[in-house]
Amino acid sequence: MSKSSYLGADTIALHSGYQPESDHGSRAVPIYQTTSYVFDSVDEASALFNVEQGGHIYSRITNPTVAVLEQRLAALEGGAGAICTASGMSALFVSFFSLCSAGDHIVSAAQIYGSTVTLLKHSLKRFNIDCTFVDINDQQALGAAIQDNTKLVFCESIGNPGLAVSNLPAIAKTAHAQGIPLVVDATFATPYLNNPIEHGADVVVHSVTKWIGGHGVAVGGVVIDGGNFDWLKSGRFPTLTQPYEPFHGMNFWEEFGPAALAMRIRCESMRDIGAAMTPHNAFLLLQGLETLNLRMQQHVSNAQAMVTWLQTQDAVAWVNHPDINAEAHTKALFPKGAGSMLTFGVKGGRDAGAAFINALQLSSNLANVGDSRTLVLHPGSTTHSRLSEHDLIAAGIGADLIRVSVGIETLKDIQADFSLGLRAAAKILAQQAEA
Amino acid sequence: MYIQVDNANTFIATGGKPFAAHLPTVVLLHGSGTDHRCWALQARWFAFHGYSVFAPDFPAHSLSEGEALTSIELMAAWLVRALDTTKVDKVHLVGHSQGFLVALEAAGLLGDRLKSVTALATASAIPVNPALVEMAQSNPKVAAEMMLQWGFGSPHQYGASSVPGMQPIGIGTRIMANNPLAIDLIACNAYEKGAEKARQLANIGCPSCVILAAQDRMTPKKEGFKLALDLNTAAQVIADSGHMLPMEAPKESLNLMKKFIQSLET
Ligand SMILES: Cc1ncc(COP(=O)(O)O)c(C=O)c1O
Repeated sequence: MSKSSYLGADTIALHSGYQPESDHGSRAVPIYQTTSYVFDSVDEASALFNVEQGGHIYSRITNPTVAVLEQRLAALEGGAGAICTASGMSALFVSFFSLCSAGDHIVSAAQIYGSTVTLLKHSLKRFNIDCTFVDINDQQALGAAIQDNTKLVFCESIGNPGLAVSNLPAIAKTAHAQGIPLVVDATFATPYLNNPIEHGADVVVHSVTKWIGGHGVAVGGVVIDGGNFDWLKSGRFPTLTQPYEPFHGMNFWEEFGPAALAMRIRCESMRDIGAAMTPHNAFLLLQGLETLNLRMQQHVSNAQAMVTWLQTQDAVAWVNHPDINAEAHTKALFPKGAGSMLTFGVKGGRDAGAAFINALQLSSNLANVGDSRTLVLHPGSTTHSRLSEHDLIAAGIGADLIRVSVGIETLKDIQADFSLGLRAAAKILAQQAEA
Repeated sequence: MYIQVDNANTFIATGGKPFAAHLPTVVLLHGSGTDHRCWALQARWFAFHGYSVFAPDFPAHSLSEGEALTSIELMAAWLVRALDTTKVDKVHLVGHSQGFLVALEAAGLLGDRLKSVTALATASAIPVNPALVEMAQSNPKVAAEMMLQWGFGSPHQYGASSVPGMQPIGIGTRIMANNPLAIDLIACNAYEKGAEKARQLANIGCPSCVILAAQDRMTPKKEGFKLALDLNTAAQVIADSGHMLPMEAPKESLNLMKKFIQSLET
């Protein structure tokens, strides 16, 4: 796949999109905490509004600090352009919104983040956009689910919370054979572990809130336009290949080609929906991005050590991580390890699981992943509680499942903390045996 | 707009406004392996300020069908045939890199239909390293990447973009990798009449404008200065830009382009 930068990933994460500005020589990316930008003249204003000139007009549409993060993430993922949004969910929404209209259809992996399920299954449905959920690694099922009105195939590169790894090259092949683009939520992988565009994805979405930020202080999202999909040849994308009246009759494909989708999102979604990332959040998320690669090494090595350790604990019923008995495509897509999420069940079911979580002192019981600190959660009673029993199983979630986002603390301290939890769980199991 | 040239569906970017042959017409000619999109911003300005824009994708490039043309002479003749389908009379020719070689060659064919020539990041001869040509033949993707590593100046190597959020290197490699880059490079390399054509234009008093990039490593600016000398004009140099000048410095290049062309129209 084509490059977007000749720098190495570690250098991109630190430098891309910003060089010290000439006014003050600020080494750090400045926070442009402003809503709007003074035009040199009426002529310049009209040139900016009519896209005769690049630049900033209003921070709902673009902002210089946010643009640094966008350009850096686009370079890291090897895309043609990127749009940052207020959250990962809004990044997903604007991606679907830009490719689909009423009467259209999406094929999605069944094992995905709970809020993305509700977006696809309920919220978009209100606008007459339908979704079929499939086992995304079953290429026959995927191919058969694509309809005449299908506009995209969606999956997570590592599914939340089932941790199934999507076989991206196979999925891309199935989708492309029918002229459909592949949209991949790569939140759990981060640009450090896997770059989906290299493996056939056409659009990459991240919740930047998670590992990319890492500090857990700012919510944000990004859509990266892979730039390889021929929207015209596909024949399914009037939003990109026909004149868009509300923006000077702009034909995004003709005028911007590989960046057509990014420009459509900029000109339509950011204007009309306005889920913009704030400059301050962009600054905070840039601080995280700068050390992403180093942090991910420790995330992954801690996760792999925790998997091995948990497998030896008596109180543990099962452990799941994509690297355990890794499938061939997992090894090929994730040579550095398939992320720092793991799930496990404690013996004694739901009550023992609750006892485990309640006994922890170091690890945090909360609804987030990808913080530098170790996070634990019982999805069945929280993030995925709105799913029916059937949907829970389809999403790969058992009632006893505990989800762990392994942090970068000293390994022995995480293990000591989990020992507290496992002892509490064992007590419940013993009580159950007595009763 | 799409027009038929030599029975092939041919895309002509018009800057977001319908082409109107009666308006002063600015013809924007792309370089090797690229397409009309390198003029995306400049084209819109001209189209919305009283000009007609004619920015073709050459045959077999991006949105245009047909067979790739194998010499600058064939490209120039094709350009005149393409212009003729629109009934346009007089034109300003603007070319980037290879596009300016085409402009020099087309100038002789257009005669007094030519109002001016504008050169961006180019020279009167563009010798191409045989290793690059070979790579473009065997692996266009890698060749496109090699070219743009040389082509973009240092700010863009560090991820700069005149349009917020975009990655021009990513956009450029995708466009070039799918176009007949090797054929273009061979055509550039073979064209030796540039200096002579430039001097002929100077002799007949054709107004000309030369815009160079300070960090140009494909057509180094000292070659551009020679071109300006042949055209009997002064070259202007844009700082902090490499060879991909129209994409790297759209605002600065447009300012010089429009000042020159406007001066001839008022
Ligand atoms: C895989 C995945 N995608 C998207 C999101 C949504 O991101 P955000 O919370 O930034 O809106 C999440 C949040 O947990 C997630 O795990």
